[in-house]
Amino acid sequence: MTATSVGIDVHDVAVAPPSKRALKRQQRRQDREAEMIPVRIYGLRKGTVTLVTLLCVLFAVFTLIPIAWIVINSTKTQSNIFESFGFWFASPFEFFHNFSLLFQDVDGDGTYIQWLGNTALYAGLGGIGATALSTFAGYGFARFHFRGSKALFYFVIAALLVPIAAITLPLYFVYAKVGLINSIWGMVLPSMVSPVGVYLMKVFIDASVPQELMDAARMDGAGELRIFYRLALPLMVPGLMTVLLLSVVGIWNNYFLPLVIFSENTLYPLTEGLGLWAQHASTSGDAQIYPLLVIGGLVTIIPSILLFLVLQRYWRSGALLGSIAN
Amino acid sequence: MAGSMVRRPRPPSEWYDYLHEERSQAHEAPTTVVTDIEARAPQRSPAASLLVQSAEPRRRGHSAWIHRRDRRGVVFVVPFILAFLLFSIAPLGYAIYTSLYTSKLIGGTSYSGLANYTSTFDTGEFWSGLLRVVIFGAIQIPVMLVIAFFFATMFDLGVAKAGGFFRVIFFIPFAVPAVVASVMWSFLLEPQFGPFTHLANVLGFPNTNFLGPNLIFPVLIVIVIWEWTGYNMVILYTALKSVPRELIEAAVLDRTPMWKIVLKVKLPMVRPAIVLLAFLNVIGALQLFTEPIILQYYAPESISNYYTPVLYLYNTAIGGQQYNLAAAGAVLFGIIIVVISVGSLIVRRRRGELR
Repeated sequence: MTATSVGIDVHDVAVAPPSKRALKRQQRRQDREAEMIPVRIYGLRKGTVTLVTLLCVLFAVFTLIPIAWIVINSTKTQSNIFESFGFWFASPFEFFHNFSLLFQDVDGDGTYIQWLGNTALYAGLGGIGATALSTFAGYGFARFHFRGSKALFYFVIAALLVPIAAITLPLYFVYAKVGLINSIWGMVLPSMVSPVGVYLMKVFIDASVPQELMDAARMDGAGELRIFYRLALPLMVPGLMTVLLLSVVGIWNNYFLPLVIFSENTLYPLTEGLGLWAQHASTSGDAQIYPLLVIGGLVTIIPSILLFLVLQRYWRSGALLGSIAN
Repeated sequence: MAGSMVRRPRPPSEWYDYLHEERSQAHEAPTTVVTDIEARAPQRSPAASLLVQSAEPRRRGHSAWIHRRDRRGVVFVVPFILAFLLFSIAPLGYAIYTSLYTSKLIGGTSYSGLANYTSTFDTGEFWSGLLRVVIFGAIQIPVMLVIAFFFATMFDLGVAKAGGFFRVIFFIPFAVPAVVASVMWSFLLEPQFGPFTHLANVLGFPNTNFLGPNLIFPVLIVIVIWEWTGYNMVILYTALKSVPRELIEAAVLDRTPMWKIVLKVKLPMVRPAIVLLAFLNVIGALQLFTEPIILQYYAPESISNYYTPVLYLYNTAIGGQQYNLAAAGAVLFGIIIVVISVGSLIVRRRRGELR
């Protein structure tokens, strides 16, 4: 299995770096070289570079407008959200007051902080479970060609075509029968099933865990579990992190499943709680529902945006995306 | 332009094939070294090895060993498969079962054959919702892919300054839950206090109602473009990055103009990625749900309970408590999506073979 057989990006992540700093320096040098390419090599006019950069700025503004709005308006009172200019601050500065609302049950629908805790619990348990199951299954599919393994793998991938509603709604019917409505396991267990995760792990393992190495370990008498933990697992960490990141964010953002299976608002995740507030904001006139919704939205997106910024190398290097692209 | 064409050993249209020759040669090199251990099988196309693998005679000593080794892999797959069967396949099976029955207030549940399917077939709202999401996808996906491809190309060629910075910014919406995105956009566009409504008024469009029946459809398109362009851009960027450097260098040395490099060299090379993205986006667009259901709170007169197929299913099952009818709708909707996807896959296969 050489790098060429799988695509450069997957391999880049797979090989343990000799020194991170040296790699970074090299990366930066390459980046700088790449930056000089258009003007020097393609013989572009400088105006083109400026124009394209301008378009980037425009699209970045479009991307950031809602986020800027929610940041600015998290500091406002309800009447200021309605009356003051949307893209600038207005006194009084109520950010901390608004923030404190997150710890109270303001309009009787539920408490934000509890929903946050629920979401963290669901995303944590579900994410770890999904990653573990995907890693085992990806490893099994990639490195063991038992009878029917290929057919089974394609069967799992084919399930991606089935619309989520066609699985989630019947899940609700089944839950109604077996009493899993309003149970956290009804939320966590289905979240652990991630065909995409299995696919990504298989592709990643194909590229980064050499069969020859495993066979050599077997010749030396190592058991399968030992080979998995000691030999394969360390090589799988980048792929594993990607799957963990994707599944945690997927559960964090999931709306349909909790909407269908939870009717008690003490069990709601953030998305469903905010959805409920959004509904009430449009109908009832509680004095603090809009600031609550705004600050709630802000506090919801911050962890996942931070997670993506901190773990940039797992999605920017293309470990997950390169495998899709090839 | 024509003068420079003559010097080139191969016209751009053949580069793709040329590259594949090179790649497949690179493939085989290590295989010949590791002849013993079954490294041969995975090198074939998946379909071929699927057919051949079990029938292929293996060397005695190795084959028994390999067989014993491979059997152990089942253990690793079992946990996932169990969960998969329980939480994906079983519900689907139950939906099919439920869809064949009808419950009545008096008389309980009875087998009703395909009655639920025929009544779903006769439901105009189901089809109008389906038509709506099809039109939605037909507009939103091409627009988004063009924007994403444009920026991905510009970052790849290094035409934009600070490309890395912009790439991160563009990706941010991917981390924002659809619920929050919809809430943010509905506030921005709200007819009374939304800043965009003010802006439209100032620009000379009084009484603009972005959430009114006329504008809600384009608004949904804008929201979904906002959410997904960055993700598509990053995938395309990664695909573009893996186009071999030598190919581009050769084109540059031949003084091929940049737009031609992009459209004639890069675009064909990343076609698989584009096809896959189009595919994923189509499946996503057909299942449009979260954005319309949140916007519905602010625009109840613009978005009905049957605005999209999934909204129809949700409101039939949860709101209307008509489980059997909803199950039939869900199965029917699933079949429609599978048919569309498999159909497009077959078309893609055909084209691939023709090439």
